[in-house]
This record gives sequence, structure tokens and C-alpha cells, in this order.
Amino acid sequence: MDLMRPRAAATESDPPRRRDGELILSGRGDYLDDVRIPGLTYAAFVRSPHPHARVRGFRTAAAEAHSGVLRVLTGREAAERIGPIPHFFSPTNVGGKTTDFECLASTEVYYVGQPVAAVVATDPGDAEAAAELVEVDYDVLPPVLDAHQALQSGAPQAFSHWDDNLVVRVAFNEGDVAEAFESAPHVLRDRVKIQRYGTSPLEPRGYIAQWNPDGRLVVRASTQMPHPLRSALAAMFDLPETAVRVIAPRLGGAFGHKFHGYPEEGALCLLSRLVRAPVKWLERREDAMLVGAREMEHDLAIAFDDEGVILGLRDSIVCDVGALGTSAGWGMAFVAAMTFPGPYRVPAYDVESLVVVTNKAPWNGARGFGKESACLALERAVDLVAAELSLDAAEVRRRNFIPSTAFPYWTASKRLDSGDYQAVLDKALALGDYPELVERRRQARAAGRLAGVGIAFELTPEGGDFPGGLARGFDTSTVRMDPAGSVTVLTGVTSPGTGNETAIGQLVAAELGVSFDRVRVVQGDTDTTPYGFGNGSSRSLNLGGGAAVLAAREVRAKLVAAAAVALECDPGCIALDKDTVFREGGAQMPISDLARFVYTTSIAHPAVPYQHLEATCSYAPEQNLLHQPDSAGRTSSYPTFSNSAHVCAVEVDEHTGQVTLASYAAVDDCGVIVNPILVRGQLLGAIAMGIGGALWEEARFDDRGHPVATSFKNYLVPRSVDLPAIRVGHHTTPSPFTLLGTKGAGEGGVAGAVAAVCNAVNDAIAPLGARVSKMPLSAPNVLRAIREVTK
Amino acid sequence: MSKLDSQDVPGRRITVTVNGVERRAWCADRTLLAHFVREQLALPGTHVGCMNGDCGACTVIVDGAIVKSCLQLAAAADGAEITTVEGLGEPGNLHPVQEAFWAEDGFQCGFCLPGHLLVALKLAEQQGDPSEEEIRAALAGNLCRCTGYQSIVAAVQRAIRQTEGT
Ligand code: FES
Ligand code: FES
Repeated sequence: MDLMRPRAAATESDPPRRRDGELILSGRGDYLDDVRIPGLTYAAFVRSPHPHARVRGFRTAAAEAHSGVLRVLTGREAAERIGPIPHFFSPTNVGGKTTDFECLASTEVYYVGQPVAAVVATDPGDAEAAAELVEVDYDVLPPVLDAHQALQSGAPQAFSHWDDNLVVRVAFNEGDVAEAFESAPHVLRDRVKIQRYGTSPLEPRGYIAQWNPDGRLVVRASTQMPHPLRSALAAMFDLPETAVRVIAPRLGGAFGHKFHGYPEEGALCLLSRLVRAPVKWLERREDAMLVGAREMEHDLAIAFDDEGVILGLRDSIVCDVGALGTSAGWGMAFVAAMTFPGPYRVPAYDVESLVVVTNKAPWNGARGFGKESACLALERAVDLVAAELSLDAAEVRRRNFIPSTAFPYWTASKRLDSGDYQAVLDKALALGDYPELVERRRQARAAGRLAGVGIAFELTPEGGDFPGGLARGFDTSTVRMDPAGSVTVLTGVTSPGTGNETAIGQLVAAELGVSFDRVRVVQGDTDTTPYGFGNGSSRSLNLGGGAAVLAAREVRAKLVAAAAVALECDPGCIALDKDTVFREGGAQMPISDLARFVYTTSIAHPAVPYQHLEATCSYAPEQNLLHQPDSAGRTSSYPTFSNSAHVCAVEVDEHTGQVTLASYAAVDDCGVIVNPILVRGQLLGAIAMGIGGALWEEARFDDRGHPVATSFKNYLVPRSVDLPAIRVGHHTTPSPFTLLGTKGAGEGGVAGAVAAVCNAVNDAIAPLGARVSKMPLSAPNVLRAIREVTK
Repeated sequence: MSKLDSQDVPGRRITVTVNGVERRAWCADRTLLAHFVREQLALPGTHVGCMNGDCGACTVIVDGAIVKSCLQLAAAADGAEITTVEGLGEPGNLHPVQEAFWAEDGFQCGFCLPGHLLVALKLAEQQGDPSEEEIRAALAGNLCRCTGYQSIVAAVQRAIRQTEGT
């Protein structure tokens, strides 16, 4: 069993720092905007000013006459030249419905900001100015802007050719829920609303599209998924995939925002074909803020006994996914429902997600991917139980956790691989000084201040596998050693700045017994790397790293066989370490000599394997994926489950509603840790994002369907002064179902932070009799909740 | 940016000393310092995250002052002394401030680094002993979406320690 563990686990004590640090730190990062291409032209988009309208016609003469303009392209014209955008993952795969989405809208617009036309000019300023001159005639249609309203009969239709606004209903249930609620001594209900907000990576999106003289399309894209983007572009242009190359340069953060499926992707390729020049477009901050996520409202009921043991759970989640689109975003609605009932043993539950379209910009992926919504609802419910029974919030969790002895543990929609939730919570309570926080809360309250302590436990399904689309739970890596003994890893997973290239290099170096600096990791180029599904769902190290380890083991076997010949011994006596090949108790040679020996001696020496020192392997934790329902009707689309516990303290200003975060601690279990520096960074960053979403970030719309959040002045992300020092720790239960024992890091932490902060704020205002379940907990929202009970 | 090269819009030739080297270049009157530095001076280490003065990715030092280069016209920098992130150190010869950020894992994607490195440089040069709170306040104009700031604060503290007495 130990042999299956990554050799790199041994290097944990002295992990390498981030790859390419010198380049990044010295301003040589080579992000998309830094790419220099001669003859570049620039695009700007004409966007709908209406949330819903029919497009009647375009007048482009003034734009065409503007200086520097090379081409104006309308939706009408584009529709004749390019097919609809393929879905990242179509709702039809889960029994829902969809419609065709165009790169530039030709007949109907569904949201403010939707591209309807585009301009290419020799200068970006000219392109922007000319785009303003394109006149579009619209017949304004009634918009629907609220998901609850959208579900009512007679509501306006977001898409005028649909009969209603429901994309799909997904549901997961187990046990006799009606009976559980009928017989339960206590039942509580709550409505918990999580707001619309995205991820706002510091680098917005960008693309450079160009057609080579040989007819190949080359696209530089700040994308997390170069291969699936290639597939989508090939389909839109009816090209073989061999005629398309997608290159993802270094990304300045992504967090789901750079999943593919955006209308600009195909439009820019078409523009480039029309002007016969490379075309560049950079997303503006206001464009980036259009991208939605997470807007969900839970109608939640929990049944429990006198001891606080949960007997039943019901939740109906209404998900306002905006105008659906072709990106991954709506999938969050599925994942939110699937995540229930989280870390708890709940004998009977019934959870549904209603995916509802409205006339707001579509969602894309967002770190947390619906798990934060589930966590918020569940953790609010558990706190309500604690409050109702006057029990300690940590104690109620203890009484309901799936015990560590019960793994693997089946629910209707997943098989939880491993964990010790109690131990994780205990560590977090110790790290966060829970008794001390409770004592300080007592003192603050005695002094007349509103102080609260919040706990949350997060379950984070990772590495999802969704057959029917190009969002799969496997990936592929190639490992090759050249005649000089250097190693190249080509992998289908990508790193948007998270650092998995460092950890993958570490794993391969350990398998081959070479130094970390000898290994180069190549990602993000469809001409070079194996077809892969990129970055998302904390999958990169788990799957791409797993595949790289398998490939490295094959190369290692070839090296060992050759070494046995070179050093004249049994293969069992060979060890590879520190760039050196050792024969037990004797001779040794540098690994570079061995590599050269293989390349120069094979065939001539019949015992030396003559394949390249190269291998390509795919890896999926398939043991824990189940797509055909078993005899109990259960399925599992996630193989592994990270988890974390969060403890925080807040103070609330009764007169302003302002929340101050006083302390924060969290402990996660992401399975085996390959590089603790990277894992710690991921957890800290995820927690900061969760706190931002809990307290400030909100992509609001006015009542006419226009986005209000257009810059960091009215969309508030946390700044250094807004956050306390965050203490983090780890508890490791290896996953029995993944090659490396890893579970996935990166996404974990967002959900727990949202829920812990919400619980702390509710705890703080509880003495007033107030409660707030509408996120974010911005000063106005908290003040409103306080005023409701104190006025 | 092609228009920056052409002279068919109102503009002028300016002289700046960038990272210790005197550079003369033409700029259109409307050109922002961020674009001038990136395009005309070919120093892409200065990043653009918002063009609104909100994020700090475009931070440079102009005549000793921290400046968001997306908020300033290039023409206004005529005669100025400018430090960009490229002026710190280069691969193989990193500045102690850069080393501190690497050692403390003070970045992930790195897009925010210009602001954080240059603020750290200023703090380190002041040779004071700022508290964590003061360091956070000094960084308040610079957004980071990856790190949650904690490792950045640690990096600044290390940078200050490492430059002590130099
Ligand atoms: S680009 Fe200048 S502050 Fe954001
Ligand atoms: S490291 Fe990515 S924004 Fe700071």
C-alpha cells in the first residue's frame, strides 16, 4: 500500500518554492497582454443596452467611416458565417432544455452587455470609439429579472421562444422525509439567500486570434481549458481540431472566470479571419463584472430531536442563472443540491434545485461552485438547531457528523471517501481558541457590544466527472527524459497561478530520483500537451499529477531495466536518487549517463529497451465514480471530498450595521499534501474570497436590469486592511480512492468562510432578536435586519 | 498600440529616467503612463487590472512617490525618475524585496506584484519598524485576489528585516 503513495510525500519537510518565481517577480511573467505579435489589430464589442429586446437592424456606416476601422461585424452577418457556441456542459445532459447561443446576437438579446456587433481597428481607442457609433435598432421586450417571478405563470419569458423560464429541476433524496418531519419533535424553517457575485481575478480575460497562412487558427487565450476551447472553436468554424491551436499563456488568476464558453471567443476568431490579421481583445473590468454566479435562494426546513440530532431536511433552491449561456455556471445549481447533506448523517432528506433563466448576464464557474451555497444553508440550519435547543454550536455538529468509522459513506449522490470531521473541527476550535472567543464574547456583550462567534464545517466535493460533455474527471500527462537526463512533463491540466506545475514537477522528480530543477512542466498549449480538461474542481494535482506519476513510473521502469544492464546487476538492486543511479552496495552512474546509454545503446544491446524514455498515461479515480445508478439508485460524480472547519469572531456596530472580523482560524483535510506551501496559499486565498463574498461582494442590478457593479468602487473585494490575520492548519486523512491520497486543494475554504462569517454575525445580533439570512452581510443588509426588530 | 507610434495625433517627445536609464520617447497627449511604460518603454511588468485606480497592479514609483500609472498621463511624467518592477532585480540577481516575496510565498498568479513589491520597497527603504497594522494600511491600495494578503504581509515584514542596516 505504501508503495502506492507518492514518493514526494517524503519531501514535504522541504518543499520547493513556486516555479518561475524569478520571472514572475521581475516583471517577466508573459501574461496575455504581454505577448507581442506584429500587425496586431484590436477589437471592441457593441453590447446590448437592454435586458431583453428583439434586434431589428444595424446601421454601421458611421462606425465604418471612423479612422482606423478595418471592419464592422454585426450579429446578422456573423450568424451566416459561424455556428452557435457549443455548451461547456449542456443542460440537456441532465434532462433540461437549452437554446442556441450566438457569438453576436442576431435576432434577440437576453441581457445588458450581450455582444451584438464588433469593430476591429488598428488602435484599441479607435475600436472603442467606433463601437459607440454602431447603431442598433431594438424592439424592447419585457424582461424578467427575478427568479421567483420568473417561475410564476404569466411571467415574461427570458427567451421569447420558450414556454417558461425553467431550464431543469434536479433533485436528490433519501429516506422517508414526510414521516421524518411528521414525527420530529422540532421543525424549523429558514430562507437563506446567497447573492450574485463572481470571482474577479486581477487579470481580466483576453484573447489574440490569428489565422496562419496555412489556414490554421491560432488563439492565445487566458483560459483555464485550452483543449475544450479548441474543441468548441473547431465546432463553430466546422474545422478539424488539428486546424486549431489554443495557447494559454500565464494567467493572472482565474477561479472559474476563465472557463470557456464566452461569446467573444468565437467572435474574435471570425473577426481575425475577416480582417486577415491578428485581432486582440482585452476584457474591461466592467465586462468581467457582468459574469454572474451563485445567486440562489434556499427554502429550507430541518427536523430534529431534543438532543439536536437531525432527523430530516428539506430544501428547495431557486437558482437565478441569468440568461444561461454556454459556460459552466449553471452547473453550480446541480452541485449545490448534490452537496447535501454535507458532512452530516441525515436519514431523510429531499433537496431540489430549480435552474431558472432571467434577463441578466449568464454565470460562469466561480470557486466554490455551488458548494458554498449548500454549506451556507446547512450551517445556518445547524446553528438554528443549536439556538433553538440552547446547545453549543460545536456540540450540535458533533452529534450529527458522519463518524470517521463510517467511511466510505454513501448518500444518494455521492460516496464520501474518507475523513475525520470531528478531529478537523476539534483542531479548528483549538487553533481558533474557541473557549477564549466565547469568553471574549461574554465580556463584549456585558459591555453592551454586539459580538458573535461563528463555526462552520464545509464539505468540498472535488474532481467532478461529467460524462456527456468535455468536463471530465480524468486527465493525461506525458513524461519524457531526453538523452541528457532532463525531464519534460506535458500535462492536460493547467495552472492559473495556483502552482500545481510546481507540485507536479516535485512528484515526477521524486518518482525518477532526479532533482526538482531538472524537471520542466509544460501546460496550456494544445499543440504540445495531451488533450486535457484544464483547471477546475481542484482537479489539477489529483488528476494531472496522478497521470504524471503513472507516466513517470513507466519511464522509471525503463530506466531501471537499462541500469541493470549498464551496471550489470539484477533490476531489483537498482536505486534512482539525487540524479544518480545506484547499484546496491557498489557502482553508480549519473542519471544523464544512463539516459544517454539508453538512447545510444538500445537494439545494439538487446537487453536495453528501445522505446523512448517516454510514457503517456491517463488517470481517473474511477473506483469512486459511479454514473450508472446502483441497486439503491445511487450515483457519484465526484471521487473525493475535501473538508474543513472554520471558527471566527466578529463585532457588529448596532448603529451602522458594520461588521468587523476580529479573528479567523480554519483547519482543512485535503488528503495527502504534496507541497504544504502551495496548499496553505490556496486555503488562505479561498478563505479571503469567502469572507469577501460573505461581507461585501455583490453584483447588483437596478430594477431595470442594468448592472450596478461596474468597478471595484461599487463591487467591494477585500483589501489588506479588511482582513484579520488568518490561522490555518491541516489534518490529513488520505483518500483511499486517489492514486496519491490527495483530495484536492484550491476550492476548499470559500464555502466554510461564507458560512462561518454568516453564523458569527447572526450570533452577534441574536441578543437583539435579529436574524439575517440574506447575503452579503454588508452594513445596509445587517442594519436592515437590526432595524426590523429594534424599531 | 499603433497610434502611440504614429505622430498623427497630438503628442510630444518626453524624457524620463526609467530604472536608472534615461529614455526619450514620443507619446500622444492622451496616453496614460501605464500604457506608455508597457508599450513605448516595452516594460510589461507593470500590469493593468482595472484602469480605474482601484487595483494597484499598475503601480510605479515616480520621483519617489507611489503612483497608479493608469491614472496619470505619460506627458506629465516628462523629466521624471520612474522605477518599475523591472528596476528591482532580474532572474539570477533578485532584489532582497523580491527574494522576500518568494521565500514567504507572497504571490500566486503574480499579477498584483508590481504594487505589492514597490510598496514593500518603499517601506523597506524607510528603515522603520512598522506594525502589521501599518503594513496592511500601506498595502490598502493594492488588491490581491489570490493570497488573502497574509503571505504578502509576511513578505513585507521579511523584506524590511532583510534590508535592515543596509
Ligand atoms: S490598473 Fe491602475 S489601479 Fe488598476
Ligand atoms: S497573486 Fe494573484 S492577484 Fe495577487
